[in-house]
Amino acid sequence: MQPADVARSLSSQWPCRDIQARQLASLLHPNTPSLPTLVVHGVSATCKTTIIRGVLSTLEVPHAFVRSSECITARHLLTKILWNTLEALGQKDEWEKYGKGRCEHVSTLVVLLEECLAARAEGQRGKFVLVLDEIDRQREAPQTLLSALARLGEIIPSLCVVLVLSSTPRPLFLQNAAVPHVSFPPYTRKEAIDILLASPMPLVESLPDETSSRVYPHFVATVYDTLIGPTAGSIPTFRSICHQLWPLFVAPVVQGEAPPGGNAEWDFTRLLVKNRALFRRQGESALVHRIVPEDTSAPSKTLRKPLATSAAPSALPHLPYFSTLILTSAYLASHTPQRLDTIFFSKFSSSSLSARNKRAHHRRRLKVLSQAQAEDRAAGNDDPSTPRKGKRTKTRITKSTLSSAFATSSATTSAVGGGAGITGPSTILSARPFPLERLLAIYHAVDPNPPENPINTAAVADQIYAELATLRRLRLVVPASGHVGFASTGSGNTSADAGEKWCVNVSGDWIGELAKGIGVEVGEWLAGGLD
Amino acid sequence: MDPEGLEDALDLSRDRAQNQGVYIYQPAKPGKATSERPSKRRKVSSTDSRGQSSDVQCFVPLLNGEENAESAQLRYETYKKLWSAQEDKIQSILEDVDAGVLADVLSFVRDNSPQTCNGCIPTGLVTVGSNVSSLTRLLSRLNDQLSTSGEGGVVVLESGDAPNLKTSLKNIIRAAITNTEGNDGYQKFVTDRAGPRLLGYDLDLLNDYVQRKGTKKLVLALRDSEAFDPGLLMDLLSLFKSWLDRIPFTVLLGISTSVELFEGRLPRACVSLLQGKHFEVQEAGNCVDRIYESLQTDPQGKLWLGCNITSTLLEKTHDYFQTPEAFSRMVKYAYMSHFFANPLSVLLGSPAPATVSQIWLCEAIRNLPSFRMFCEDLLEAGSPDDVRNLLENDGYLLEEALSHVSAGQQRMQQIFHAVIAIHAFLQHTQSAKKANVSDLSVRALSGELNESQVVDDMLATVRTFDSGKLGPLLESLPETLPAGLALDEIRTDLATLVDTNGDFGPLRSEYNINSSVVKTTVVQQRILLSKGKSNLSKRDVEYTKIVDRLVGALQEYLTEILIQPQELFMHEAFLFDLRNPLKETFTPRPRFALERALANPFDYLISSTNASGARISVKQPATAILYQLYLESGALVNIHDLWQAFYAVFESDQGNTCDDRMIMSLFYGALSDLKSFGMIKNSRKKTDHLAKSAWMGL
Repeated sequence: MQPADVARSLSSQWPCRDIQARQLASLLHPNTPSLPTLVVHGVSATCKTTIIRGVLSTLEVPHAFVRSSECITARHLLTKILWNTLEALGQKDEWEKYGKGRCEHVSTLVVLLEECLAARAEGQRGKFVLVLDEIDRQREAPQTLLSALARLGEIIPSLCVVLVLSSTPRPLFLQNAAVPHVSFPPYTRKEAIDILLASPMPLVESLPDETSSRVYPHFVATVYDTLIGPTAGSIPTFRSICHQLWPLFVAPVVQGEAPPGGNAEWDFTRLLVKNRALFRRQGESALVHRIVPEDTSAPSKTLRKPLATSAAPSALPHLPYFSTLILTSAYLASHTPQRLDTIFFSKFSSSSLSARNKRAHHRRRLKVLSQAQAEDRAAGNDDPSTPRKGKRTKTRITKSTLSSAFATSSATTSAVGGGAGITGPSTILSARPFPLERLLAIYHAVDPNPPENPINTAAVADQIYAELATLRRLRLVVPASGHVGFASTGSGNTSADAGEKWCVNVSGDWIGELAKGIGVEVGEWLAGGLD
Repeated sequence: MDPEGLEDALDLSRDRAQNQGVYIYQPAKPGKATSERPSKRRKVSSTDSRGQSSDVQCFVPLLNGEENAESAQLRYETYKKLWSAQEDKIQSILEDVDAGVLADVLSFVRDNSPQTCNGCIPTGLVTVGSNVSSLTRLLSRLNDQLSTSGEGGVVVLESGDAPNLKTSLKNIIRAAITNTEGNDGYQKFVTDRAGPRLLGYDLDLLNDYVQRKGTKKLVLALRDSEAFDPGLLMDLLSLFKSWLDRIPFTVLLGISTSVELFEGRLPRACVSLLQGKHFEVQEAGNCVDRIYESLQTDPQGKLWLGCNITSTLLEKTHDYFQTPEAFSRMVKYAYMSHFFANPLSVLLGSPAPATVSQIWLCEAIRNLPSFRMFCEDLLEAGSPDDVRNLLENDGYLLEEALSHVSAGQQRMQQIFHAVIAIHAFLQHTQSAKKANVSDLSVRALSGELNESQVVDDMLATVRTFDSGKLGPLLESLPETLPAGLALDEIRTDLATLVDTNGDFGPLRSEYNINSSVVKTTVVQQRILLSKGKSNLSKRDVEYTKIVDRLVGALQEYLTEILIQPQELFMHEAFLFDLRNPLKETFTPRPRFALERALANPFDYLISSTNASGARISVKQPATAILYQLYLESGALVNIHDLWQAFYAVFESDQGNTCDDRMIMSLFYGALSDLKSFGMIKNSRKKTDHLAKSAWMGL
């Protein structure tokens, strides 16, 4: 079969990949001399694997396929390569001959592969193709693995190794010149729309066929232009969004609403005008995958659903009283600089007017400072080349920082606080680790129901430890060992004293709400609180 | 301090030789070398003796050891009987609570496949809130159901089992296979395969297993999903995703916070692998309320928890993370301590008088405060002969006590019947905030319920009900109310009245707000408002009478029943209300104990002299001395200063004879002890300083 024929037979099922199919077919054709190595690269969902499989099975070349993402270690990968080759060659029962089915190094693999390829019957000694899918995603791969695998084909003449990469390869990444590359670029607008129109249209009951066939192409193009193109979405996303939105889009026709403007029939433009909000709301939410999909079963209802209810966060977790108090203290400990502890938390400066003024002064100062830092950080992101290390952050407040802080204050808080009520930090100072003793001290300072006789009542520290363990299990408070953030603990989450310091891991208004529930006003102690 | 004592002090902890920071090296004496070698520890089989002795003589004889063995045994048996009945009940409540979610999850697992989830892994998100243990129960029952029907099984993975990808895969595969095959089956499965031996973390193993068993659903449950490392979770899930066409995975994620929080922490790529449904397990509080209710209102109940204990228990559930199991353990402990330590509890076992008629038990009864009150009441009632009898005749006393115990038990039951009745009423009268049974019980047990605002409000609201509301209210009352209330009569009267006047809409009592009229009169440019009754129709008057009867009967009933339980004679036997062993046991205070031991070592150690004068003395352990010096210092302390102070303590005691080097080694030993407690660390600010990292009394 000629390469052109292969491409033609595949293109009916997998359109818009003609060139790649022809390239692959001619390179892998059993009659052409074997190519040692071939690199196939392209971003995900560009049909790489499917086309390779299709080409190989149409050409009837003997081949083995290894999904590298399923291999946990490099050794696992090598063993798998060996087995799959044996299986493809029909020598599976003779595994004991080939290193007892074990293969721990690439050099062993070369020998074993050579042996088993040589053991083939006389008539089948043609080309053998080994496809390593997603080989660049291999876990625990040694640095030389890729180039070593690429050499396999050079050593074993009848073997052709196909490396499938999902990232664009660097030049000469195999340490080897002139390795042919086949690139699978992302689909263009026209291709994507063609592919989608070629696949069957989602069914909507009691929609006239004539209307749907007239409107659907326009609809698909609009979806691409509004949602898929700008977000670089893949074909599966494209398809699922079309399937989700199409019933909603044609709902007016199905429900028999009269078209506006005295026309007898709905056409695409009128439907689009009618459904302006659809693309903004449903469409954008369709782009974000959620584990629990939102209910879109009743189109008429969802269309009229006010924005507030759909955006309302589901019930936030409710913690017991004592745990809430500890979490609040942890939050405060994380978000208040230690040097201000005596001003904010000391019992001696509790409620006099001057003390309150002093605290308010520090809160404002902190807020301004934190915004200045945020700006600094933003500037730093714009220009990553500036060396940031070793530079001391100045706490001096100039007039310009002040004014800019006040100008941006409302904008920042509202912008960040928008997401579902949990994510928005009420203060911009990032959480800092704190020692456990400080948490205990702050706990005593913020306790809304302090014991009447603090000398005689037993210490609560032990109870705090117990609850802190639970909070830690919930990842609300995490031990900060070296780095800040929850991804820091690589393994062994159960060890208790990974670090001496702790850090609160959930930011923002949620803790404020919780604390209000037990009678603690968080804002009283926070930068920018109570303003 | 003499050197021998020092050596002893340093040698006292042979077992801590492993992690000792500082020790004095003593070369072994040549002659004793062989005998010094620690003898090997043998495995001591203690199982044989335990089997026999567990049932006999669990409880020690009380009353100064004068109690006879039968009584002690009887106490034990009564406890066992009582608690096993209660435990069964608790179990059935827990199962009942989970039943709804279990059915949902089961049908989700059965109905969903990757095809129905757009090719994603079918995922059930189970939010458990503070009810942490419920997921374990749920999963084990799910596993039972799935494995008995042969559909598959549940693999439970905890964050502790998953330090890295390899280990977690190994654990998953092993757990999946041992779930049905057992441990030996797993070994056999791994070794007796046709092909080459697979690596332990190769999902091909699981694939083989699934093919061989014909598993349709393999549920992987992550019990504490939040505690998993997100990177690891991502790796695991993407692996499952790629195997999804061969192994039918379903993932269940236990979430303790909220779905949004959890989802927000995962990478987007990870979220896009999952799709499914959200399940919510009932809050622990509800569960605990139900357990408490069933414990206290048990018709066969013999022992009740008093108001102190109840409030302690409920405080614990409301203020802390606590599972229903932990709650039931606390109740069990309360039951246990009652039967273990209270000789009167033998009376609950309805004993034959012969077994218990002991002088000591009668003496104990005579010393009860409730006995004293009872006698005073008898005297006031004018029957001094009875009192004399009680004081002098043991047999009569026991008889009386037993009859009063059973009478008191009945009274307790009635109290809880009343509580349930009030709760039933409140379901109708309170609209917004519903009081639950446990809150009402606390008040009832302290004898305050009858005068409380809740009951007053309830009666006032019942008065204003029209017939449309009163009918259902009467219907829904529990059967346990006594016949003396004449509820049936009231019901029939109401029914006939409503039947005869059915055409005029609901009947209203005179207390109803619609039945009173506000009159407005203008007198000398002032407006006077006066309330008056509107003219009630005849049927409304009739209805008002019925309402009055009902409320009157209720009031009478409640005043009669809702007494203070502490007034009952012999309440010490059937009402357990000691707060202390429970509270102490369930809130251990290691830090407090540690600080106390270090600051006042003679609270725990026996002092050879009366160490009253100086707070710090040489007789104390070195660590304690150093700790007390440490308490006097600031946040940063110079080591040399500390050493000087430490040395001064010894110098003042021993004068010039003290051994520098010995004291130095003691100092180092104490310092390393404090370091291992986490109380000090090296300061980064100043090299020769220590930073204090723990403060006393927090």
